[in-house]
Amino acid sequence: MTKKDKALKWVLTIIMILVGFCFVAPFIFMLSSSFKVSGEVMRFPWHLIPESPTVKNFIGLFTNGVYNFQKWYVNTIVMTGLTILIKIFFVSFTAYGFAKINFKGKDVIFLVLLSAMMIPSDIMILPRYIIFKNLHILDSMWALILPSCVDVYFVFLLRQSFISIPDSISEAAKIDGCSHMRIFWRIVFPLAKPSIATMALFSFTWSWNDYTGPYLYISTMDKQMLSVGIKLFSSGLTQDYGAQMAAATIVLIPIMVAFLFCQRFFIEGVASSGVKG
Amino acid sequence: MKKEKAPKVKAKTSLAQKKENRAGLMFIAPYLIFFTVFTGIPFLMAIAMSFGNITYITKLDNLQFEGLKNFITVFTNKEIRDSLLRTFVYTLVYVPLIMVLGFVFAFILNKGVFCKNGIRSLIFMPYVSNMVAIAIVFKVLLGNGSPIIQGLQGLGFDPPLLLQDMVLALPTTAVIAVWKGLGLNMVVYLGALQDVPSELVEAAQIDGATKWQRIRHVIIPMISPTTFFLLISSITGSFQNFTIIQALTEGGPGQATTVMSINIVRTAFTKYQTSVASAMALVMFVIVMIVTLIQWRGQKKWVNY
Repeated sequence: MTKKDKALKWVLTIIMILVGFCFVAPFIFMLSSSFKVSGEVMRFPWHLIPESPTVKNFIGLFTNGVYNFQKWYVNTIVMTGLTILIKIFFVSFTAYGFAKINFKGKDVIFLVLLSAMMIPSDIMILPRYIIFKNLHILDSMWALILPSCVDVYFVFLLRQSFISIPDSISEAAKIDGCSHMRIFWRIVFPLAKPSIATMALFSFTWSWNDYTGPYLYISTMDKQMLSVGIKLFSSGLTQDYGAQMAAATIVLIPIMVAFLFCQRFFIEGVASSGVKG
Repeated sequence: MKKEKAPKVKAKTSLAQKKENRAGLMFIAPYLIFFTVFTGIPFLMAIAMSFGNITYITKLDNLQFEGLKNFITVFTNKEIRDSLLRTFVYTLVYVPLIMVLGFVFAFILNKGVFCKNGIRSLIFMPYVSNMVAIAIVFKVLLGNGSPIIQGLQGLGFDPPLLLQDMVLALPTTAVIAVWKGLGLNMVVYLGALQDVPSELVEAAQIDGATKWQRIRHVIIPMISPTTFFLLISSITGSFQNFTIIQALTEGGPGQATTVMSINIVRTAFTKYQTSVASAMALVMFVIVMIVTLIQWRGQKKWVNY
């Protein structure tokens, strides 16, 4: 590497670090402000380290008696957990069917599913409302869980990764008298674990962050999810900046922790398969 | 593809094939049932509803066929037309910005920088985060009296309150959406750039191609399938901006950010004009389809597989 190349590399690195900083600056502001008393949040010049750090903002969220953050938190955790579990089961099962079983009508059905990927979700809002109502799951978390389990996108991606598992392995098992069920659980599913982990992580962020679903389909306050909850909370307390930042922080923390520890699955899963949310 | 395979299998082992058919159905049946209930039927219902006269969402009695009346409303009602226009403005800000920046950042990262993976993660971070939480932070940061505004005022500027400005609010929401979604486009581009064979670039270099010529005539054509895929999904994504706008401005100030997605929900759930809302959603769907079809047709000219 010549000297000029090295200099260029340094310049580019500095530019990209500045760009990267722009992408995390709001998070830094949020985290820092959540430990400040409200008056200090808007103070200029701004300080990264609070003058007198306080956890009052966080305690306030769970003890205010008006906004039931505990309940919302539990609801969101249960909803997200159930979604991921059911989705793994549903999607990988289906993907195996399309990847490894040679049944009649397979290509036609798969084509129909793929073209459904083009349908924008806005168009589903009203009819789903009526369907939820008739299935008596309106105003319950099942209205959020069940529709997100029929994610076509991941059927497509998992199918790709199942196909890349050599047929010779499953053929050998088949000759030994293994049923598809056994081949699926014993061979294909374990081999495709990285793809399934990617799917689980993305479902986690999508369900956890979903706002439209709970906003439209859940009306009882105690059944509400965090996204809608913090929106209500922040518009109810427009002047209490510290509390608002603390509310934003507690919603973001689980996602951020998952992201920091599982970046490999997130980013490389995207790069290799072209995930698009 | 199917036709070549199926007869051979059938002729030889019809019993085994029957078993395969049964197993296949068993594997996909649960999914298909749910898919039909939560995607298939709603889609057909959406089409049917937009030709009817449904007002309250749960009242389906004395339903009448109204023909194209709702669609005429969509195109003649000024409020709806304006919101359609705003959706286009939003798209025109969002799509070029996310496409160009996604490519540029991926290109620089791929070119070689120190701690590439760290920077990549920083830029990807907003993508996984919660839009409502982000909106709370941005509303404070861009709002009256925030440290940024005070700082700029201290320097003698008179910064506008971006999210409360009649003209600037809409582009601001689009830029925040770019900020949030950029990481994904960049990572997908990064994957594509890594797959460009370095021999090709080197060969062009030996032939005397300048840096720009190499980018323009080697790299951009090589990654055109990715560009095509990202372009379609970015346009589709830019139409589905309900969460971003509802969280940031709720369609305000005034009607400044009331785009179609916001207006559809408002028409259905506050104005109770369910059928009109369905027609609006269907119009959006048709627009997405037309845009995609035009690109599909046009891809032969610039996409190299």
